[in-house]
Amino acid sequence: METIIPSTASALSSLLEADFKTQWRNRRSVILVLLVPVIILVSWKGIIDKMGGAFALSTCITIGLTAIGLMGYSNAIARDRDKGVFQRLRVTPVPTWSIMISRLIVQLAMIMLLTLFIFVVGYEYDKITLSPAGYALTFAVSFIGGAVYLGLGQMIVGLVKNAETVNSTTRLVYFVFIMVGMFGDLGVLGVGLKKIIHWSPYGTVKAVLSSSMQPGSWNMDTTMALVATLLYAFIFSFLGIKWFRWSSQ
Amino acid sequence: MNDHPGSSILLVKGLNVSYGSFHAVHDVSFEVKAGEIFGLLGPNGAGKTSTLSAVEGLLKPQSGMITVAGYDTRTKPLHARANMGVQLQSTSFQPELTLTEIIKLYAGVHGIKLTAAKLQNILTDIKLEESATKKFGQLSGGQQQRVSLVIATIHNPTLVLMDEPTSGLDPQSRRQLWERIETMREEGHGIVLTTHSMEEAEAVCDRIAIIDHGRVITINTPQALIDLHRNDPNVVSVSRKGKITLEDVFIGLTGRTVRA
Repeated sequence: METIIPSTASALSSLLEADFKTQWRNRRSVILVLLVPVIILVSWKGIIDKMGGAFALSTCITIGLTAIGLMGYSNAIARDRDKGVFQRLRVTPVPTWSIMISRLIVQLAMIMLLTLFIFVVGYEYDKITLSPAGYALTFAVSFIGGAVYLGLGQMIVGLVKNAETVNSTTRLVYFVFIMVGMFGDLGVLGVGLKKIIHWSPYGTVKAVLSSSMQPGSWNMDTTMALVATLLYAFIFSFLGIKWFRWSSQ
Repeated sequence: MNDHPGSSILLVKGLNVSYGSFHAVHDVSFEVKAGEIFGLLGPNGAGKTSTLSAVEGLLKPQSGMITVAGYDTRTKPLHARANMGVQLQSTSFQPELTLTEIIKLYAGVHGIKLTAAKLQNILTDIKLEESATKKFGQLSGGQQQRVSLVIATIHNPTLVLMDEPTSGLDPQSRRQLWERIETMREEGHGIVLTTHSMEEAEAVCDRIAIIDHGRVITINTPQALIDLHRNDPNVVSVSRKGKITLEDVFIGLTGRTVRA
């Protein structure tokens, strides 16, 4: 009997179709990812001129990226692992990496959607505009920033087996990131903490995003922040992949 | 199915599986032929699921050799998996997908293009044509089991592995599943199933391996097992009806102690 091994492209296309449909039917979680940054953007309308459009947009994108990695991706992975969805896919003739790549492509699409959405709301509501180079660079950097939080989400799923515990852990980390990150960055929590936050995954992503919106403002500090962002993404992803188990049993 | 009846489609040789310091499967060997239903019987924690998981490629054995349709699962994992259909003990699919979408997904990952007519035939065959747009979680236990089986066999695999396929099913659904399993045997598939039901094993299995503490105790046809152990004092002592049954043989060989 002839053995049929599907081409990776055709298997990936089937996985992608299913994963995009799953994401589309989870519209509530998509809305939640977009809602918090939009609320912040709208509530800052009166002080945008004072803090600068790049500061506002980069803060909102960073918070959105945190939500995608911590609330969306990690919880979906933990749930499917708990339900045995991955085990079912792993006994089919597709390379296991393609199962994860398909999930990640969906998250990259979410990152694009988030960035675009923030740009549109920023323009429509606060009249914030960037140069074409600023828009292009911000899109590219938002993928790098997204990798940090997807890696962090992967690390949490690797460390914690139970889906409910993953859910509560990621909510807590998300809350800490946006509260401490945003308020600390504004200087409300003191100078010492502001410095720590500047070099935290929140601060470095936000700094690189902010500079990419105004390419002329890119300096040595931004380059260092980019290096730190890449390092965070690498370390989180490495540990997340190393610790990850396909089954929660 | 083109495989010759009687040709070997699964070969497990000297299989050893450990979880840390716990040795779950000790030197297990058996062979399954085309057109044969092979039952793996054992108490809870005996090593049945670990053995199946090693065959399925879900866990890496410490040593031993497994070939499926002639393909070594270590060196040709994708070829081996392409030749096997798996029904897991607790199968679940993405809860957001409809029945049609789930079937299309698994056809796609097996490299099969499904036409609308073919899809309709599948749904009609499992009597779920009116549930095409339902989600997996909205189906009854029996319906879910039929979907799991159709997905496991969508690519017409040489070998079908089923982990406790009738667990939780009502008698009607169980009978229906037995009939489907027997039809697959007639079509030349080799089938390996684990079960706790001696009635099921006796009714459908051509050969049975009793496994305990990770070791195969005995392999034979259900009737031969009864005949062979009829006078075993352990078996006679647990017999309740004056007549030796497969359950008596099983309890006699694996002990009366309830396993966690």
